[in-house]
Amino acid sequence: MTRLITAIGVVLLLAGPARAQSDVTVRGFADVGSTSFSADRSFEAVLGSTGRPVFGGGVEALLPGRVFVNLRASRFHRTGQRVFRFNDQLFNLGIPVTVTVVPIELTGGYRFDSGALLVPYAGAGVGWYRYREKSEFADADENVHDQFTGFHILGGTEVHLARWMGAAFEAEWATVPDALGGSPNSVAREFQESNLGGFTIRGKVIVGRW
Amino acid sequence: MDVVRLIGLRTLTSAAALLWLATLAAQSPQLTSYPLMVSPTAPAGVDRGVRDLDLPRDPRTDATSRSVRQRGPVLAGSVIVKFRPGTSTDVRRRLLAQVDGAPVAPVSDAPFEIASIDSSADPEAVARLLDAQPDVEYAQARYRVYPRFTPNDPQYARQWNFPAIEMERAWDINQGAAPSITVAVLDSGVAFRSAVMRYEAPAFTLDGPTTITFPALGVVDVPFAAAPDLEGANRFVSPRDFIWETADPLDLDGHGTHVAGTVGQLTNNGVGVAGMAFNVRIMPVKVIAGIWDAIFGSPRVGTDDVVARGIRYAVDNGAKVINLSIGRSGRPAPAVHEAIAYAVSRGAFVVVAGGNAFEEGNDIERFAEFAPDIDGMVAVGAIGRDRRRAFYSNTGPYIELVAPGGNTRVGGTGGGILQQTFDFDFVDTFLRGPSQYRAPRFDMFAYDFLQGSSMAAPHVAGFAAMLMQQGITSPAAIEAAMKRYAIDLGEPGRDNEYGYGLIDPRASLRGLGLAR
Repeated sequence: MTRLITAIGVVLLLAGPARAQSDVTVRGFADVGSTSFSADRSFEAVLGSTGRPVFGGGVEALLPGRVFVNLRASRFHRTGQRVFRFNDQLFNLGIPVTVTVVPIELTGGYRFDSGALLVPYAGAGVGWYRYREKSEFADADENVHDQFTGFHILGGTEVHLARWMGAAFEAEWATVPDALGGSPNSVAREFQESNLGGFTIRGKVIVGRW
Repeated sequence: MDVVRLIGLRTLTSAAALLWLATLAAQSPQLTSYPLMVSPTAPAGVDRGVRDLDLPRDPRTDATSRSVRQRGPVLAGSVIVKFRPGTSTDVRRRLLAQVDGAPVAPVSDAPFEIASIDSSADPEAVARLLDAQPDVEYAQARYRVYPRFTPNDPQYARQWNFPAIEMERAWDINQGAAPSITVAVLDSGVAFRSAVMRYEAPAFTLDGPTTITFPALGVVDVPFAAAPDLEGANRFVSPRDFIWETADPLDLDGHGTHVAGTVGQLTNNGVGVAGMAFNVRIMPVKVIAGIWDAIFGSPRVGTDDVVARGIRYAVDNGAKVINLSIGRSGRPAPAVHEAIAYAVSRGAFVVVAGGNAFEEGNDIERFAEFAPDIDGMVAVGAIGRDRRRAFYSNTGPYIELVAPGGNTRVGGTGGGILQQTFDFDFVDTFLRGPSQYRAPRFDMFAYDFLQGSSMAAPHVAGFAAMLMQQGITSPAAIEAAMKRYAIDLGEPGRDNEYGYGLIDPRASLRGLGLAR
């Protein structure tokens, strides 16, 4: 996480000068948001509420023709406990389990930039989702360290706030099929939930040239 | 002595009933004044060691976890390397490159490095290649190391039954439940306290292949003591004797004390042997009579009504798990069925022995047969150390789980289940014939190998206590957790020999993660 923040910071510092040299404008952004996972029953069962903020950030390039490309990374990290499910009853077993999801997403899209203060945009892309799950008392092969590929679409509105700074509000829907529920010891299998994607809303702070 | 230990408890109970009917003491007007507690205290029990008289072979002592070998002991994708002092960085990189490896971030507090290798490569082979290099002081695969609770009880190595169900790794997760969980042992009583009791032992006739008449012993003072490897501060709660109708369910047989030991023998105390749920409280409830109970003229023997009352008493007085290492064949037992259903409805989990009469016709075991009808009750069959059904263990649609119950046909005496109970030399004196027949002592203890579904059931009772303390509080959910993770033995799926399979406490205690 520290490395991610450092990388984003470097990008933010370099974003302004870089764009001045070409037609391509490079900007940095940081965001905070909340994800509602497609496998919400499974996440809720093991982690309790997943509503705490998720931080992310990345870089984006504004290309000629109102096209943009961005690369974003974030990290979801929660500790809950293992459970047993019987009928519709969940029993918490008090064995800590930590789940970490690190999506790295590459998005391409179009900015509906008419020169107005608000700039709507929409995009789609591919993501690589690193999933880790670590339980106390587990053998190494009982922990999970997997990577999955998913797809997403997003849309949002950007507003220019100051010379080098803007903000955006964005919504994203992602699908990461067949990521969960493969193991008989998975609560996701109990709930027949296999998708690691979900719906995310986030606010962004953008630093760069407009 | 061993012969008697091997016969089913039902036979023992029947014999007791015969004796009770045959005793001449019933006519004695003085009997009503006995038993009499002569002293509420007595010298501490004497531990006379392990009773493995016929010991042609040592019990297996490989208490190492089977799963370590099965799961692969080595971490893939990296090895440990220590280069010799002065080896340059370039040389290190070159050596690692030869095995498609690369250095990773240095680790603290270590003179060695962790080198990453291809995840599909054999770490042992890579380590051997590196180890052969002159610039490498040593290289080795990264063997997994596990926390391991291995009790320090000196006779633990003879308890093959606990490694057989991976209890060491289960105890890593849950250290023997907690005193907040009470397990009721409905049995022949438990050696739970000291006392000197005065009884009258009239002459009696033992009906069998030959009829033997034993002389009257008259009034005898019989010493009792708590089993040294079972008692502890506040260990026993709400004791009750439904045979003598007292609050002192003294064990005059040894069966209940052995069963209680499997449930919760004091563990990691440097003494004797271990038990499953060694932190629970034990509620001794006496619902069956031993031979000495009959000789001394107990007003009741173990009948359905007594058992049903015991079950209700146990749950009404806080028992969360009830162990019934008892049973019978014959006609159905609705009174006991109703009592078990009541106990489960009040939140208690009930474990019943599956029966020991396979070779005597495999008649339906009447208490165990309720198991499929009641969610929150299980009937338990027995396996030996070879993980196969023990020769005596009943089969049928009511068998739901199996647990170690011992099989001396496979492992000799050491193939039984070792727990502390009485030294039977001081108890079963009637086995030596009238000339050596004398009053018993219930303050002499030994570690005995017994076998039977009676021994299998308390494994499951202790397991249930651990699950309850771990957080699964509903009896039906406990049953579901046990069945879900049971290791399938015999025919694939549920079968009449092994039910859903061998209990797997560790897997049940771990439950479900999000993805694994």
